[in-house]
Amino acid sequence: MDRFDRNARIIRDGVAVEGDALLQRASELASRLRSSGARCVATASGRADVVAIALLAAQSADCGLILSRRGAIPLDAQNGIGEADVLLADDLQTSALLGSTADRGFSVAISTSGTTGRPKLAWHSLDALLGRVHAPGGDHPRPRWLLTFHPASFAGLQVLLTALVSGASLISVSNPSVASLAEAAIQHRPTHLSATPTFWRSFLAILGPAPVELSLRQITVGGEAVDQATLDRLAAAFPGAGIAHIYASTEAGSLFSVRDRRAGFPAAWLREPVEGVQLRIRGGVLEVRSPRAMLGYAGGESPHRSLTDDGWLSTNDRVDIRGDRVEFLGRVDSIINVGGAKASPEAIEAVLLDVPGVVEAQVYGARNPITGEVVAADICLERGIPEAQAKAAILERARSRLQAHEVPRVLRFVDTVAVSDTGKKKRKT
Amino acid sequence: MANDDAVKLVIRVLSQVIADKGQEVPPMTEGTVVLGGDLPVDSLDLAVSIVQLQNQTGRDPFREGFINFRTVGELAALYDAA
Repeated sequence: MDRFDRNARIIRDGVAVEGDALLQRASELASRLRSSGARCVATASGRADVVAIALLAAQSADCGLILSRRGAIPLDAQNGIGEADVLLADDLQTSALLGSTADRGFSVAISTSGTTGRPKLAWHSLDALLGRVHAPGGDHPRPRWLLTFHPASFAGLQVLLTALVSGASLISVSNPSVASLAEAAIQHRPTHLSATPTFWRSFLAILGPAPVELSLRQITVGGEAVDQATLDRLAAAFPGAGIAHIYASTEAGSLFSVRDRRAGFPAAWLREPVEGVQLRIRGGVLEVRSPRAMLGYAGGESPHRSLTDDGWLSTNDRVDIRGDRVEFLGRVDSIINVGGAKASPEAIEAVLLDVPGVVEAQVYGARNPITGEVVAADICLERGIPEAQAKAAILERARSRLQAHEVPRVLRFVDTVAVSDTGKKKRKT
Repeated sequence: MANDDAVKLVIRVLSQVIADKGQEVPPMTEGTVVLGGDLPVDSLDLAVSIVQLQNQTGRDPFREGFINFRTVGELAALYDAA
């Protein structure tokens, strides 16, 4: 990578791998790839240093790189991993795979999150992946990023690339959980932290009343639509930090960021392209034309299959214009059908998260023979709040802000909600 | 005929659903008609009651399709231990 900054280092469980060591290991790996005639490398490593070395080596050897996540994409031909002819292990040892196709040169495939539905691999050029990655100018002290995402997820790769080109320290842990990452944050004092809203809410709950001690300079929120209550909680907890929410997807690439601390984005962006991205709403769904979109899916599926006839990419995010703002209502495929009336789990969660004492809310459809589904919610409360009192407050707020069929009819109080390996709430389909 | 425990459970669940709506809970017996008259319960409330009954008993008598019932006793019979 031309833009690689040798000052970058990757810290894993407290042990640092310096930029020069990353480069040296990448160069060794690249010469092995060249001498074996490799055309496409696959790895399922969850280690940021291995992914960084694989990126540098694949570029140097001009071969494709498939970044898989264990459990996300099985190593079989049907999922396009059959394109790989070399498998790279955590210890940087390589073994031969059967697959191989025409030379695609250096490009990177990442698995879609599969929050709903089966994950696919999306191929990207490095230029597109780096399109919104900027090294900070000026004489700021070097950033320290905490990696909360899997490095082989779209968001994790953005954080990794940002750290590599800005000479940052990237703090990672081998067994990522909100608790272990909070511990790493307290120990290593990151200046920059990017995470899903779901992660941020449990992170705040674990840090407790004094998170300001972390002195974060930049907070990034992405991967799921962010609600105003979560943005407000972050602003209150980290008064000195810049807060941006990023709109991106594995297919569309990184699109734009919103920095005014309000949920949604300015409706004016529907008229003027933002960061090179054109936006429009069709049938209540946001569509984009992005210079940073994927090259296509692996396995020969044409990217055009996911495009409209006139070349726009559907985001599958339902949106609505409210005043000067475009607000996210939820995913097309997460809709709950209550006897024919539609309810959006994300929109209902945003209302529930605004209730004092509610740390996390997961809304889903509970099946029944009368209405098909009814709205059900799992709720995590702050410690010490009585459930009966919380239930009354939640139902009162829900009844005043939601339509009758959207009010959660089944409330369960739980300690945690299920999160996928990309840090997003799991959606039942 | 449903056993007493199942009837009590159905009455408890229906009472809770009615109370959650902020309405007065009328007295219920095995013969009380669930939908259409005796109780302030609409189809959404009944759907919720069935989800609650499934959560509390671990049983889903409607898995294979809808089964007709009219009274509290008939609904309770579906959740009786087989």
